[in-house]
Amino acid sequence: MNKFDVIVIGGGIIGLATSYYLLKSGKKVALIEKNEFGSGASCACDDAIFFQSKKPGINLELTIDSIELYKSLSDELGIDLELENKGGMVLIEKEDHLKVMEDFVKKQKKFGLKVDILDRRDVIKKQPHIRKDILASTYCKEDSQVNPLRVMRGFISKSKKMGLEIIKNNIIEIKEKKDGWKVLLEDKKTVESEFVVNATGAWASEIGKMIGIDIPIVPKRGQIAISEAIPSLGETNAWSAQYIVTKIAPELDRNQNEVYKRLGIGFALSQASTGNYIIGSTREYVGFNKKTTYEGIQLILKEAMALFPIFSKVNVIRTFAGLRPASEDGKPIVGEVEGKKGFYIAAGHEGDGIALAPITGKVVADLINGKRVRYNIEELNLKRFKY
Amino acid sequence: MCNEIICRCEEITKEEIEKVIEDGAQTANEIKRFTRAGMGLCQGRTCRGLVERLIKEKTGIEPQNIVPSGYRQPVRPIKIGQLGLKNEQN
Repeated sequence: MNKFDVIVIGGGIIGLATSYYLLKSGKKVALIEKNEFGSGASCACDDAIFFQSKKPGINLELTIDSIELYKSLSDELGIDLELENKGGMVLIEKEDHLKVMEDFVKKQKKFGLKVDILDRRDVIKKQPHIRKDILASTYCKEDSQVNPLRVMRGFISKSKKMGLEIIKNNIIEIKEKKDGWKVLLEDKKTVESEFVVNATGAWASEIGKMIGIDIPIVPKRGQIAISEAIPSLGETNAWSAQYIVTKIAPELDRNQNEVYKRLGIGFALSQASTGNYIIGSTREYVGFNKKTTYEGIQLILKEAMALFPIFSKVNVIRTFAGLRPASEDGKPIVGEVEGKKGFYIAAGHEGDGIALAPITGKVVADLINGKRVRYNIEELNLKRFKY
Repeated sequence: MCNEIICRCEEITKEEIEKVIEDGAQTANEIKRFTRAGMGLCQGRTCRGLVERLIKEKTGIEPQNIVPSGYRQPVRPIKIGQLGLKNEQN
């Protein structure tokens, strides 16, 4: 059997979510993965569904709906996804960061996100282990987390039961036919379908080249360290304002140390349900190199100790790096490719893949099924990059 | 004997590992990610071999063809304060 309704390329969280929602709508789906499930970014990341890092607009809109889907997915997939709502704080150490954050918070509030600025006393109440001279922080109750490994496992096992064909192989060639697509695999087998979804994350542009299109997505390496399991240090997950400022006001970066800039250091801290702390991370342009470096890990952990001095006594047990698929404008690329009927892209989520996986999968399934989606989805189409 | 513990650090049983193979995990890394076997303090020093044996039993793949799960630095737990960093706040 080599004919399907849809071929999904990429066994990361986006490809799996897309496969699942397509299967749910009654489509026959094959999923092609060249390596291991989640080996690019989805299994080498943190667990945040972080509203505060989203610029008001379509990314934030999608995040809000994505979390609604997550709420029902534990039941649908029959596995506890460890969806938790602890809230999140963006820790502010510098006056100029405070100004940027106040402005950003104002915009988010206008959009309807419940987020506030806390003064030092209230910060310490929620984070008793924080450095005592912390300036301020934001607080957003909505910030949540979900265990990506469990989400992936849930999607795989449920989708298999629903008839998903899993193909672990390399793609040699993708050919456009009159009524669909033909994919030639390394083992000489071919699969055919009416629709193809390119959900290959950092590899999206390589797949794009096979059909002669340019997809402006590049890999950004994110290194992360995992601590031993310890009791909770504070009420919420936490990020440094530097992380947000790097994302939304990079011009303020000029004061930053060259090394920090090159490594794209932005501190992010969350505690998994197992008690291990996930300490991140870097954002580096080093191609497809997925190795961790002593320099990167050292600086991340230095940030952790600077903000939470108690970390000096905590063991780090593991480090890893994932390749965040970064699009040129920080928004994912989702939708059908103009002039390539039936060829869809669902990639370029950078650090938002876990948060946006369910809604991305649902939207792509709806588009393929010819249903209307309620977002201005054109905003995410590849054609926005045509100048 | 299905409740035999395979990964002692994370207390993962043989039954759980067999289930995840049935659920679609095919490699040592996928089993690690989807069950947590090998993610604990010892980083799989005890359970690696056992997990690989279970893969052979369940899938028939010969041991020499099973790719071991990744080795992650620092391999052994180390205190963050001992990484040669100065904690500038203290």
